[in-house]
Amino acid sequence: MMIPFKTKRPFLSRQALLRNFMITVIGLMIATLLSAVFFLLSHNTANIAIIYVLAVVIIAQNTEGYGCGIVASLFSVAFINFVFTYPYMELNFILDGYPVTFLGMTIISSLSSTLTTHLKEEIQLSNEREHMLMEAEKEKMRANLLRAISHDLRTPLTSIIGTSVSYLEQADRLDESQKTHLVKAIAEDAQWLLNMVENLLSVTRINDQTASVNTALEPLEEVVSSALQRFYKRMPGAKVQVSIPEELIMLPMDATLIEQVLINLLENAVYHSGSQSPTSLSVDTDGGFAHFHVRDHGSGISPDRLDTLFDGYTSMQNHSSDSHKGMGIGLSICKTIINAHHGQISARNHPDGAEFIFSLPLGENTYGS
Amino acid sequence: MTAVIIEDEKNICSFIETVLADGAYKTFTAATGTDGLSLIASRCPDIILLDLGLPDMDGMDIIKKVRQFTHTPVIVISARTQEAEKVAALDCGADDYLTKPFGTSELLARIRTALRHSQRSGAASSVYSCGGLVIDFEKRRIALDGQEIHLTQIEYKLVSLLARQAGKVLTYDYLMQQIWGPYNDSNNQILRVNMAHIRRKLEKNPAEPEYIFTEIGVGYRMREE
Repeated sequence: MMIPFKTKRPFLSRQALLRNFMITVIGLMIATLLSAVFFLLSHNTANIAIIYVLAVVIIAQNTEGYGCGIVASLFSVAFINFVFTYPYMELNFILDGYPVTFLGMTIISSLSSTLTTHLKEEIQLSNEREHMLMEAEKEKMRANLLRAISHDLRTPLTSIIGTSVSYLEQADRLDESQKTHLVKAIAEDAQWLLNMVENLLSVTRINDQTASVNTALEPLEEVVSSALQRFYKRMPGAKVQVSIPEELIMLPMDATLIEQVLINLLENAVYHSGSQSPTSLSVDTDGGFAHFHVRDHGSGISPDRLDTLFDGYTSMQNHSSDSHKGMGIGLSICKTIINAHHGQISARNHPDGAEFIFSLPLGENTYGS
Repeated sequence: MTAVIIEDEKNICSFIETVLADGAYKTFTAATGTDGLSLIASRCPDIILLDLGLPDMDGMDIIKKVRQFTHTPVIVISARTQEAEKVAALDCGADDYLTKPFGTSELLARIRTALRHSQRSGAASSVYSCGGLVIDFEKRRIALDGQEIHLTQIEYKLVSLLARQAGKVLTYDYLMQQIWGPYNDSNNQILRVNMAHIRRKLEKNPAEPEYIFTEIGVGYRMREE
């Protein structure tokens, strides 16, 4: 059972060998020093043996492989016999009862050194196993996300292809208004696709390993106004009431990403509220955070969806009532972005509709004007 | 008016061609940078539309080469993710940029703006007027809805710089260099703060500006009538 490990383990590097050697030497030296003090005080050889056993166990724990522990234990047995037992400074293994003591000590220290080595290998192995499990879990999440995305992409694509092909095939049989209707549907679906792709692209700006973003201090008003500009361009009919604090607030953020979050939330409000009254976007600061509120005046969010709203693709299976192609990914991307900024995002219902709130930490310098 | 379109994507190329033909422009198209450069040299167009992701050449190199022999306005076409390249292209001498996807009206408006700037570069008008905002460059006066507005030296410099090139996006770097000189540090906080002060003096609601628009990650653009 130990053989596979041995063959798997590469030869120790020079550096590791030197380190092992140093630990062994220092460990034995300390043990010898302690024993010498002990020996001068009490002349008790049994305690000295215990000190050496302890040293051997510690050495085995702190070095790689079995070698050091076994070498240290053999050395200890010989050394105790040589120095601390009568006749002093002479090797004598036939003293009364001593062979048993020494044999026992050799076995105990060798055993404990192999045991600790073995234990270390076990721990490493289980760490590896855990890592593999985590990787598998990640892989599964990635596959789920991909499946959800391709589902979300296929829906509008199917409609675009179908509509354009039917336009081309029946061009002479359709009247002008029918044609306009078809082209409008294509434009709408293409717009939706673009939105989706931009969302996905924005995620690539987040660092994979650290889940963080490159932030720079940006004036809040510029991000809000730029997001609104793009939003109006996309939805010319929409109305948003905006109110932000009077003073100049600079927030550390990746402006492109926060812009994306704002557009997603505004668009979400327009699509899902089922109401014509204007959405409101307001920002206030409190307790070291800037809080962004996006409120609509519509039907609100059904309570059973509130918990999984930001999970996106996990709730895909049972979404049915809300037919506008899963905004779920948009919201889950909002959450990813806000988390990467060390902020929070949440949703709740107010008496008159739904409200999304996200908070971003204020930087150290906020210029007053 | 003639336009040269350098774009390797056939569908986008034909879309732009259709739009420009409707706007009474004569168009020449090239799918590679090399072809594009020789087209520009031989046809002497009034405007150049350049896609940044060409197969054979870096867009920056094309702009630099074009700028060696002509001041013909160049409008760069780029994807949303290419912010850094966009800014680099502008600082290299491109006049404006369009982000894919863009609409017909946006394309035509940008071309008109670029053409106007290239034509009147000699005799600049002495007054900027747009909506309720009037700037008299000779008297150094700014009035909003008939009320005179007081700006600091730097604020006035910024506003007049933007107004003289209204409709065109000016990058952070360009503005920093023009106002604070070539030896400023790379931090543009001071520009952002000054712009915020200007916004409070010119705009009713800084979150919904009417005159000076922010292009995130790129710079500022002043409204043109």
